[in-house]
Amino acid sequence: MKQLPKYLPLAPVFAAYVVMFLIAENMEGMWQLMSMLLFYCALGQAFNVFMGMTGYVDFGYVAFLGMGTYGMALSITRLVQYEFLGVWIIVIGFALAMVMSTLLSMAVGAVALRLRGAYFAIATIGVNEGFRFLIEGARIWNGSEGMIFTADLNTILGREAAAALCTYWADIMVLVIAALAASVTLFYMRTKVGYALTALREDEDAAKVMGINVTKFKIIAFITSASLAGLLGATAWALKTPYVFPPEVFEIHYTIEAIIIAMLGGAGTLLGPVVGGLVYGLSKYYLSIFLPGFQLLIFAPVILVIIVLFPEGIVGMLKARTKGTGVERFIV
Amino acid sequence: MKRSFAILVLFMFVFAGVSFAGAAPDKIVIGHPACLSGKYAKAGEQAVGGIKACVDWVNNFNGGVKIGGKKVPLEYKYYDCESKKEAVTSLIGRLITVDKVDVVFAPYSSGLTLRGAPVAESHQMLYMDHGGANNKIFRQGFRSIVQTIGPATSYHMGTLDMIHQIDPDAKKVALAYEDSEFAKMVMEGAKDHAKALGFQVVFERTYPKGVTDLTPLLSALKASKPDFVLGGGHFEDGQLFNRQMADLNINVNALSLIAAATLPAFYKALTTMAEGVMGPSHWEYGVKYSGEEAQATGLPWIGPSQEEFLELFKKATGEDMLPDYHAAEAGAQVLAYVLGAQGADSVDSKKVRDVLGELQFMSFYGGWDVDDSGMQVGHTMVDVQWQDGTRVIVWPEEAQTGKVCYPMPTFQEKVKGAKAVPK
Repeated sequence: MKQLPKYLPLAPVFAAYVVMFLIAENMEGMWQLMSMLLFYCALGQAFNVFMGMTGYVDFGYVAFLGMGTYGMALSITRLVQYEFLGVWIIVIGFALAMVMSTLLSMAVGAVALRLRGAYFAIATIGVNEGFRFLIEGARIWNGSEGMIFTADLNTILGREAAAALCTYWADIMVLVIAALAASVTLFYMRTKVGYALTALREDEDAAKVMGINVTKFKIIAFITSASLAGLLGATAWALKTPYVFPPEVFEIHYTIEAIIIAMLGGAGTLLGPVVGGLVYGLSKYYLSIFLPGFQLLIFAPVILVIIVLFPEGIVGMLKARTKGTGVERFIV
Repeated sequence: MKRSFAILVLFMFVFAGVSFAGAAPDKIVIGHPACLSGKYAKAGEQAVGGIKACVDWVNNFNGGVKIGGKKVPLEYKYYDCESKKEAVTSLIGRLITVDKVDVVFAPYSSGLTLRGAPVAESHQMLYMDHGGANNKIFRQGFRSIVQTIGPATSYHMGTLDMIHQIDPDAKKVALAYEDSEFAKMVMEGAKDHAKALGFQVVFERTYPKGVTDLTPLLSALKASKPDFVLGGGHFEDGQLFNRQMADLNINVNALSLIAAATLPAFYKALTTMAEGVMGPSHWEYGVKYSGEEAQATGLPWIGPSQEEFLELFKKATGEDMLPDYHAAEAGAQVLAYVLGAQGADSVDSKKVRDVLGELQFMSFYGGWDVDDSGMQVGHTMVDVQWQDGTRVIVWPEEAQTGKVCYPMPTFQEKVKGAKAVPK
């Protein structure tokens, strides 16, 4: 019970997710919109674990989502012949997604985390592009042809259950991943890991001098963020969209979106990715409805204005304004 | 008593109205998550123009869609999906549940088409594909999907049929293509069809995307001494392919390159070196499909003539540009839906899907027929050849605007300014 106040800041995050779920369940036509918003929130939340807490910008982040997608796809396409496994194929898919994204993050982290600033960013872009070309060029996992596995899912789960998985349960799983990412973020914030990460984000050299093993903590945050991305890829891409083509799952655009969401909401904050994901997703959605074809023209300057006006993000601004009030402890 | 009578009359009117609306709706709405921005913006813009043009034709020239004994206007509701999969599902969800559309047209590309399919299926909504050519879409067991664009495996079938017919001595074919999902699927179909026609595949190799030097591959290809070559993937590698074949002086009777040779920029980049080079296309402005042609082949005809389509397309886009195949196939899809709904005398997705499964017709886009899985099997690709700087449709015969130049001039002849002239 003593621990409870420590985790109170999760209340607004979970409340936001519950409200989104209730809206999706009860308002006609809202499910797919909420599914998109949840994806953006989860993406921002998972990305924030590393970028927000360390200040390192990983431009190759989408590669971890890609690995997660491949993990699930490989499990489904390779194990479909073992009928007795049934739904365990999906469970194995999640495990494989976690393992593959974690292994990639360890390999990347071992090299790239020795670099800083622009050098780190460039190195991670290289990893993303390089990995995609490796899959295509070496023709591993079906190479450039990719995999389409709706029929395999139908075989494993039956047509009705597979359809429900793609259009309903995959979205619920994204919600769970978003909540998990938020919990992990707060856990880190409230423990030694978070203090070390904050120290290295503010001044890495000073943190080193103080005796903090910065490499160790950076790797912890990097791997955590990557495994969450792997789970997200396995769910929001492989299960919701049962296909994988290399150019689509290694598309750098998703990393840019993750950066925008984190910056917009407030990098390094708990509530920031939720607010960023909602603002980003809702603006895009409604602009594409009311001004189809012109939304990006309007959206880009709006983002610029928000970032110029609130350099700490929307939640950063709220934190400053609510300082000393009762609301303060909820806005972290 | 008077009041009761009035209420009774009112009820009768209401129920009459309901039953009437059940038979024939006030309007029929096509929903479309269009790719107006993002990587498929160019194709998406053309598709929207093509759909608007054909909706205009249906409403203003055909008087609407004939359902329940009356003509019902067609409406087109579209949003911009930014060529992104997350937006595709959310917008399809909105189109079906909020806008209550009667049919959903898939976005451009195989990936985005696949993304939307489970959502459409879960609502038992008819889902029409005008931009996803991957054959595997139709091996996934979707029930509500119907394709208008031809499958990727059919791209080179016309080229092979043509060479088989005009040159019985040609036996050896070389396949060299980009290592991409699309090109591989195209060449899988080409290889199978070549073998079925008795051709011998003497060379087959892929090259990576973004390739900058094809000379090692082309040197190996030259050694295999093919009669003709099928290749390509995208514009950049297609023109590199042609240029380096010229550098290495690899002369073949025919060269057909996917996705590159049909573009005006291809000739602009290569000038006379492009003479005689061919490329398959779903449709090109200038094809000769017409009501008479349909009559001759025994198919019913629907829709605007090619010239009418051009005018309607220009009106819809507000620009003086030619429609390309993206516009034509999207427009033809509107016509297919109209025939499907009229045949079913309903907008019920399942009934329309059943009718579409049996439907055969011809429009300015060419033939239309789908197999049991919903895959397009009635549409024939056209083959375009550069002749004296002009794109000439040389195959199939019912669509051709000129004869084929075969064999094409050698590269030495082209250097001297030789033009591809049919014999």
